Amino acid sequence: MRRVLIGGGLWIFALSVVVPLLWVLMTAFKTGPEIFTSPWGLPQSPQWQNFVRAWQEAGIARYFMNSLIVTLSTLAILLPIGAMAAYIFARYPFRGANWLFGAFLGGMMFPLFLTIVPLFLLLARLGLLDTLHGLTLVYVAYSLPFTVFVLTGFFQTLPQELLEAALIDGCGPARAFWKVMLPLAKPGIIVVGVFNAIGLWNEYPLALVIMSSDERRTLPLGIANLLMVEQYQSDWGALFAGLVIVMLPVLFVYWLFRDRIHETMVAGALKG
Amino acid sequence: MSGRSRGIFIAGFLLPATVLYALFVMAPVLQAFAFSMYRWRGISESRTFIGLENFSQIFADPIVWLALRHNLLLFVGTSIVILALALALAHAVGHDSGTARFLRAVYLFPQVISLVVVAVLWMFILNPSFGILNGALKAVGLEAWAIAWLGDKRTALAAVGVAHVWHALGFYIMLFSAALRTIPHEVMEAATLDGAAGLVRLRHVTLPLLWAVLRIALVYMAIGTMNIFALVFLMTQGGPDRATEVMLTYLYEQAFKHSDFGYATALAIVNFLVVMALSGAILALLRHNPQEGRA
Amino acid sequence: MKYIQHALPAIAVALAAVVVVSCGRQSTTATKELEVACFKGGYGIDFFEQAAREYEQQHPSVKIKVWGNPRVWEQLRPRFIAGNPPDLTYPGWGMDHWALVYEGQVIPLDEYLDSPPFGKTEGKWRDTFEPALLELCQYQGKTYMLPYFFSMLGWWYNKDLFEKNGWKPPRTWSELLDLCEKIKAKGIAPITYQGIYPAYAVSGFLIPWVISAGGIEAFDNAQNLVPGAWKSPAFLKAAQMMVELRRRGYFQEGANGMDHTGAQMEFISGRAAMIPCGTWLHSEMRNVLPPNFRMGFMLPPVLDDGKGDPTAVGIGIEPWMVPTKGKNRELAIDFYKYMTSLEKAKQFVEQKGTLMSIRGSDQANFPEHLKEPVEVFRRAKTVWSVEYRQWYPKLGKAVEDATAALLSGNITPEQFVERLEAAAEAARQDKNLPKHTYKRGQAR
Repeated sequence: MRRVLIGGGLWIFALSVVVPLLWVLMTAFKTGPEIFTSPWGLPQSPQWQNFVRAWQEAGIARYFMNSLIVTLSTLAILLPIGAMAAYIFARYPFRGANWLFGAFLGGMMFPLFLTIVPLFLLLARLGLLDTLHGLTLVYVAYSLPFTVFVLTGFFQTLPQELLEAALIDGCGPARAFWKVMLPLAKPGIIVVGVFNAIGLWNEYPLALVIMSSDERRTLPLGIANLLMVEQYQSDWGALFAGLVIVMLPVLFVYWLFRDRIHETMVAGALKG
Repeated sequence: MSGRSRGIFIAGFLLPATVLYALFVMAPVLQAFAFSMYRWRGISESRTFIGLENFSQIFADPIVWLALRHNLLLFVGTSIVILALALALAHAVGHDSGTARFLRAVYLFPQVISLVVVAVLWMFILNPSFGILNGALKAVGLEAWAIAWLGDKRTALAAVGVAHVWHALGFYIMLFSAALRTIPHEVMEAATLDGAAGLVRLRHVTLPLLWAVLRIALVYMAIGTMNIFALVFLMTQGGPDRATEVMLTYLYEQAFKHSDFGYATALAIVNFLVVMALSGAILALLRHNPQEGRA
Repeated sequence: MKYIQHALPAIAVALAAVVVVSCGRQSTTATKELEVACFKGGYGIDFFEQAAREYEQQHPSVKIKVWGNPRVWEQLRPRFIAGNPPDLTYPGWGMDHWALVYEGQVIPLDEYLDSPPFGKTEGKWRDTFEPALLELCQYQGKTYMLPYFFSMLGWWYNKDLFEKNGWKPPRTWSELLDLCEKIKAKGIAPITYQGIYPAYAVSGFLIPWVISAGGIEAFDNAQNLVPGAWKSPAFLKAAQMMVELRRRGYFQEGANGMDHTGAQMEFISGRAAMIPCGTWLHSEMRNVLPPNFRMGFMLPPVLDDGKGDPTAVGIGIEPWMVPTKGKNRELAIDFYKYMTSLEKAKQFVEQKGTLMSIRGSDQANFPEHLKEPVEVFRRAKTVWSVEYRQWYPKLGKAVEDATAALLSGNITPEQFVERLEAAAEAARQDKNLPKHTYKRGQAR
């Protein structure tokens, strides 16, 4: 009996996730008035123009490229330096290590939009405002806490024997890291990478303030823009279509890597 | 390896991350701390030093206490629901069947789409005229229940809570199911053989073994609910009549609507301290597994 | 030294970034550049972009960059702080305009207002504006912002529905009560409103009725924070009227939970007969209007024996400003003069269907739904505007919260006015809040 309840509960929750998403998908194909008059029914005729309008209004092609460049460059810098730092915290304790680790974690708890103004001033002074590389560096910095946290956990689980073997063989500690330990942690790195990628892809507040010119804005800015513009023009069809456009790639990438992501999220959290 | 070359190795490996972090995260945070002692409109660089006046104002501000209450209500309410649901469902998706893997993946969808999308989605679901919820209620004849969930003082906070649970639940299901898998199979079998089952087994076997994970989960939930912002901001703006006001929405209002950046920063610091205190309390209170010592 | 070798790539990338940035800076050219940042709302920014192209054609050495989005103030704020604002800006409703004024971030415009308008050598630019609107842009005797289009606040009613049933737009309170009873009998909600944003109810119900009950002085005094003004008999009466409508069931069920789109949808779908809104309604809902939907505009019904001017109308402006640290002040002014020339003003009225603050612009071929608002404006002997919301934001929020509570039936009119007065007292006592005094100037 309890089995049935729990089984039922599982499917209810699954439905509560899938049904709204499907509803958004269906609604994206309706006309504005149709959305209000028959919210439950199937669209009379599929309004592909909604997607075209959403695409144009949100400048999706252009912003897509920007988001892609920023996300990939961020990962290219973040993963190596994050792994390096995590390795130290995991394997090489030193005086003050806990404080430094705590400092990394503490940063996750301070609300973002209050650091935005000092950050903005700093970037202005460094000439990094409204540049893709400026945004990249900021993203790296703000993604470090989570990355270091999770990878530290990963490195802690790696067997000590392999490291010792490498060191005895004459490897310096750095070489041991790059040649032996890092490859072992590859699954964790991949998943931290994917997880970060999803977060970076959806990042909004920092991009909003740092990127002002149209040519350099990222996808979430375009989508948020779409959402807000439609509020003034009541183009609900395009709004829903925009939601679909922004959700699908993320869901797709997530689906590809779902098992890996699952493992990492869990590993990192358990080790904490 | 000599002490000195060990030191250089450590420093070298830590340097890039630490430098970037210190420059772009820590420095702005510290500057923001400094701002809390000024009166600053946040529209030019000029500001006036007022010491701890912002903090004494916070203490006397009834809306701060109201907001804190809402945050804590959200914490208690959503934690109970999430813990109960996640534990119950975690068992079932822990194994490696195709269905389990499919369900696990689906459950994490809400975590993966951006919060803006989650908020907009739930606003549509809860929309009094054309939303799914009221549509379903009307379809089964429960018309009287089809109210304006986000516009009614009595239900607004709970409605936001539901959206938050929907967003967060998947993660905790994953967490607990993985943790459950670390419990050696033999222990579970032994317990069942001994006659313990269901809730009894939960209390005397599962919970104690999951204790560490539960503690961490609660701390995450505390941080998440004390810092909740995007959902509330987009769905209700803290209304109606401040029925859903939380610390961060109040903070945002102070900074950007009332141009009182000093006060807003002070609020951020107070919130930060509350989060620290709450996390610390959870970790301390739950340090000792009540089942320890019994075999 | 191998560890350094491996850390090097990361450091190199960071350094390279900084180097590339410095090389990327452009040298200044001979052309004059103007940056215009605009709020992109119901009327978009295409009109301003078009104006920029036209101006560039007339002035070949000028390059104007017009950009904007629905939350442009979020990006403008850090730029003001960094001392690098645009040259001309329409920051939108989310920007704290008065803070910009207090901090000296925008220039006073009086000397420019006294100079000739665009393309003329004589006369004053000042005189091309509706004086009542310019008055709202002043602080301590100086003008710091300029209006462009303006909106009027009133009630919209479903014309076809009214004509079909032989109903007339109610002019007085007693007519309103009669009419609502008839509408209700037909199973239609007489009045709906945008509950989630109480500002609509404040300017659609509360203030018009305060003015009707106590004359314009009742509202002016309140805005000037005269002690006791917010709990005057006029305010109490207005609150009682709102409660009366609620008691009789003339407000649409669930209105408290509707956002502006929801309530406005109820109106255009015919489920509600009347709705308070500004003259932006048509533009905002144009994508979902049923074909041939006709909306009529009227002033909120006044008390039968009301003291106030029955032609009084509420308006709102969304100002443009010239930042102090902008780089091209003269050009910014000249471009704005171009945009406010009579010809451009008339074009805006025709294209966007809203009223402009330039005198004579109502001679344009405005769209059908603007007809009644224009008549209302021409007849109006008194003009009012909700300024306290910008001057004293906390008071504004308190009024809105209290209105939401009143309309939900959570507080009584007596408690309502007490809350308002308490908030006004807090504003009075706040030494750090610059105070404004509005002196009603020349009549319209």
